[in-house]
Amino acid sequence: MIAIISAIMGLSAAAVIIQLIRSDRLHVNHGLGWFLVAATLSLLGVAPSLFDFIAAQVGVSYPPALAFSLGFLILIVKLLLNDIDRSRMQIRQQRIIQRLAILESELRRLRDEQTPKDLAASYKIETNQDPLEPKNRNIA
Amino acid sequence: MTPRLPKIAVVMPALNEEAVIARVIAGVRAQGIHDIVVVDDASSDNTAEVARAAGATVVPLIVQLGAWGATQAGIRFAVRKGFNTIITMDADGQHNPADISKLLTPLSTGRANVAIGACTQRGSLLRKIAWRWIKRVSGITLEDVTSGFRAYDRLALRRLASWQATLMEYQDIGVLLLLQRTNMIIEDIPVSMESRSNGKSRIFHNWGVVAYYMAHTLLLGFCKRARARRPSMDPAVVYKVSR
Repeated sequence: MIAIISAIMGLSAAAVIIQLIRSDRLHVNHGLGWFLVAATLSLLGVAPSLFDFIAAQVGVSYPPALAFSLGFLILIVKLLLNDIDRSRMQIRQQRIIQRLAILESELRRLRDEQTPKDLAASYKIETNQDPLEPKNRNIA
Repeated sequence: MTPRLPKIAVVMPALNEEAVIARVIAGVRAQGIHDIVVVDDASSDNTAEVARAAGATVVPLIVQLGAWGATQAGIRFAVRKGFNTIITMDADGQHNPADISKLLTPLSTGRANVAIGACTQRGSLLRKIAWRWIKRVSGITLEDVTSGFRAYDRLALRRLASWQATLMEYQDIGVLLLLQRTNMIIEDIPVSMESRSNGKSRIFHNWGVVAYYMAHTLLLGFCKRARARRPSMDPAVVYKVSR
């Protein structure tokens, strides 16, 4: 029974991951790791004796203990990798925010330095409309 | 190589300081420094407008980055503009602009790359205990590790504008260890400090924040300690190369 549940869990996880990648909510890079987890779950569900064999090979007398320990270890590693990635993204985000502020300040200075004539010229280029001329009322 | 002429700017991170910032800017201008960069740390009041009206260049952050994040934005801006000596100071009137010349002396004489305006008399008993612990764990021997009143030369600025420095949350231990690790010579300069006009520190006013700050700083100090080397005490070694 447990084998069937485990196999269903694995297959459902695989289906969810495929759906998340299809709908652009999960990056393929992250999906790859989760897909491996789903595949392992399915495999162990279909062939639970495989785990008994591995446990015997590494000298663990109670196979579920090995399963729990491995699962726990994988989760810890994944969490650590997540935080490493988050730190990298925080740095990137902070530098972008800083750069945005720097550019905004420079943009303001450039705007302040422009004479009314420059402003009129840039306005004309952007809108093809002379700011000093009244707008054509027919074009509403 | 001919020494570069110092091109000095003052960088001030500011969060809701509309009441005092104009006075602080006027104080800096009275010292003959007219290049003042105020980094508005997403204030909810009119800090940016008041600073602009007082003659400062404002770098407006759209998201609050904290004192160090804001300071680094100002440093990056000033470096981009070609400044090679930067003074950082608080916008709340705690630091006396008349002391700026004291901070610049070790840099102009080539004695140090970084000068820290130190005032160890300030602060509560809690702050003093915290300082002692932080210094013991990190191995830093400077007097005032949390002071934001500092002068940096070109070499130090290059380190402070880097990606590694962006990882820091506070400007004290992490930044100082980064500077020390890259052989920058740091000197304490005794200065006097006023009490804050708005009355409270960003950190030392709440037990929860203090606990987080201490845990964060002690861990950082402990982890980076082994990698931090003592700076060479012969200024000529570092400074000759740099100038």
